[in-house]
Amino acid sequence: MISQNLLQSTTQKCTTGCPILDRLLRGGIPCDSITEIVAESGSGKTQICLQLSLHAQLPVSHGGLSASALYLHTEFPFPFRRLHQLSLSFRSSNARHLPCNDNPCDRVYVQSVHSADELLEIMSKTESFIESSKTQLPVRLIVIDSIAALFRSEFDNTPVELKRRSSLFFKISSMLKALARRFNLAVLLTNQVVDMVGPNEGINGLRIGNLGCLYTSGRRVCPALGLAWANCVNSRLFLSRHEEVNREENGKLIGESGGFVCKQTRRKLYVVFAPHLPESSCEFVITREGLFGVEITAC
Amino acid sequence: MEIWRLPISASQRGKLISAGYTTLSSLSSISSSDLARESKVSESEALDILKFASHSHSGGSEMSSGNCSIFEGAQNAWDMLHEEESLVHITTSSADLDNILGGGIHCKEVTEIGGVPGIGKTQLGIQIAVNVQIPHGFGGLGGKAIYIDTEGSFMVERALQIAEACIGDMSEYNRFIRKDFQACEIRMQPKDILGNIFYFRICSYTEQIALINYLDKFISEHKDVKVVVVDSVTFHFRQDFDDMALRTRVLSGMALKLMKLAKKFSLAVVLLNQVTTKHTEGSFQLALALGDSWSHTCTNRIVLYWNGNERYAYIDKSPSLRSASAAYSVTPRGIRNSSSSCKRIRMM
Repeated sequence: MISQNLLQSTTQKCTTGCPILDRLLRGGIPCDSITEIVAESGSGKTQICLQLSLHAQLPVSHGGLSASALYLHTEFPFPFRRLHQLSLSFRSSNARHLPCNDNPCDRVYVQSVHSADELLEIMSKTESFIESSKTQLPVRLIVIDSIAALFRSEFDNTPVELKRRSSLFFKISSMLKALARRFNLAVLLTNQVVDMVGPNEGINGLRIGNLGCLYTSGRRVCPALGLAWANCVNSRLFLSRHEEVNREENGKLIGESGGFVCKQTRRKLYVVFAPHLPESSCEFVITREGLFGVEITAC
Repeated sequence: MEIWRLPISASQRGKLISAGYTTLSSLSSISSSDLARESKVSESEALDILKFASHSHSGGSEMSSGNCSIFEGAQNAWDMLHEEESLVHITTSSADLDNILGGGIHCKEVTEIGGVPGIGKTQLGIQIAVNVQIPHGFGGLGGKAIYIDTEGSFMVERALQIAEACIGDMSEYNRFIRKDFQACEIRMQPKDILGNIFYFRICSYTEQIALINYLDKFISEHKDVKVVVVDSVTFHFRQDFDDMALRTRVLSGMALKLMKLAKKFSLAVVLLNQVTTKHTEGSFQLALALGDSWSHTCTNRIVLYWNGNERYAYIDKSPSLRSASAAYSVTPRGIRNSSSSCKRIRMM
């Protein structure tokens, strides 16, 4: 066994396509590591995944991985139209950097997954798939959207079943990490949230990471799949959203005749834990062109 | 009774003991005729006995005090105390944490550190791997580190950040305390510090066992390794093991090897562990992973936990330290004292 020379290893990162988010993440999503994005539905998890799948195709000199992406989705249907829409703006802003004139969507390999066992099967086939992709643009990004959907309904709430579920977490995580190590891939997973109702939810109330509590849409939530799964990922990001009501839109207050309510969705990305990132957050917006961080300047 | 180390017959031994000669030192200053008279053996036998006694006395005793030990390799507690006092500890860069640890991470011992994800286990592991390299002039061990990464949490850029901060701290210390710049110039560069960390990445439990078996040979060739960090020791063992008894055997075998390494090469072994829930009497409790039998195998055990918005470390098990907890923080420079103004060490 030979020890690795640390001086010659730098962690490659895949850019998110937005310089503000990249700055928060110190370059983007790291390779040889599992990054998890936790959020409630409609927060932008899939948007980030699609955006990263496209930006992985950029050359390394521009923050990409010169790679194609394998997108495993568990929630249906897969947003093909949105991917296409994003690819248009991606192609127009990056035309000079992309190697040839084909459709960036062709470099995103999509596969649907229906259960945890099916995921394990796919993982064993993925190795040969990645090997064979080396001739064209190699696969260097794996996205699983979302990992939670595979486990939410299959297991009963007995200790034996939960233990079996935990073992499955570690097995899947171990296989993903081995793949990530062998082919220097970045692995991006999305996870859902569950509500926390009482003040002290026992094991769900356990604080994990920088944020004492996670709030989204005015509710207190915690990531799904529990403590065991939290041990399986290297980094965790949280996307929150909440509706902000602007009280005066046309000079009149709400309730007054003629006044109307203008709601604005404020979105924020937080670093819950990561070995290379400090506690930080930034706001972002989702537009037709994609997901972009915004810097809030005090006025 | 050291008399039975002597190659003499049982009856002769019995006669010596009943005459009151139980230690070799008691035979050192007696003449053969006196011995023969006292223990009722013949003169020639007494002569032989004294010859054997003087042989064992001169050949076998490596200890400075006059007492010989019964078994080869055994030490008496006095010598062990002297050795223990002369051991340097590895600082964690947080004075409060070092305080409750009795100076820092102990060499010749296995320390287990566990906590929830995001509490700072990997950060502490990297900090220790950097701090072991602090030169003797600054109170460190001047050694190298082995970092065994089973989860892929080690980020080179973070290690570089911590290494730079460590060198920065040493320069600060230089400027304020020592004042003689010429003599104590810091020649270390951050990349030197990275070069002194032997990094191994493990992807399965069989690789983990194989590597730990290989460490003996590796450290024999790299005698300046003074700490072995395993981050984390648990990850590959939490998958489905068909035979849990096998898992326990494998784990205890591994723990034994690591303990032997620690003692043989006088280095510190730091094992980072995860936290899991233990189902007891209908309620869930947090416990370090790998089960009850594993919890007996480590010498020291530190639990990291959140208390409000602060990170705390708690000595859960130690043969020489009292239970106490201290706050610490994870900063861009690494592990440091907690910045809250009312930090105090709570003794239990």
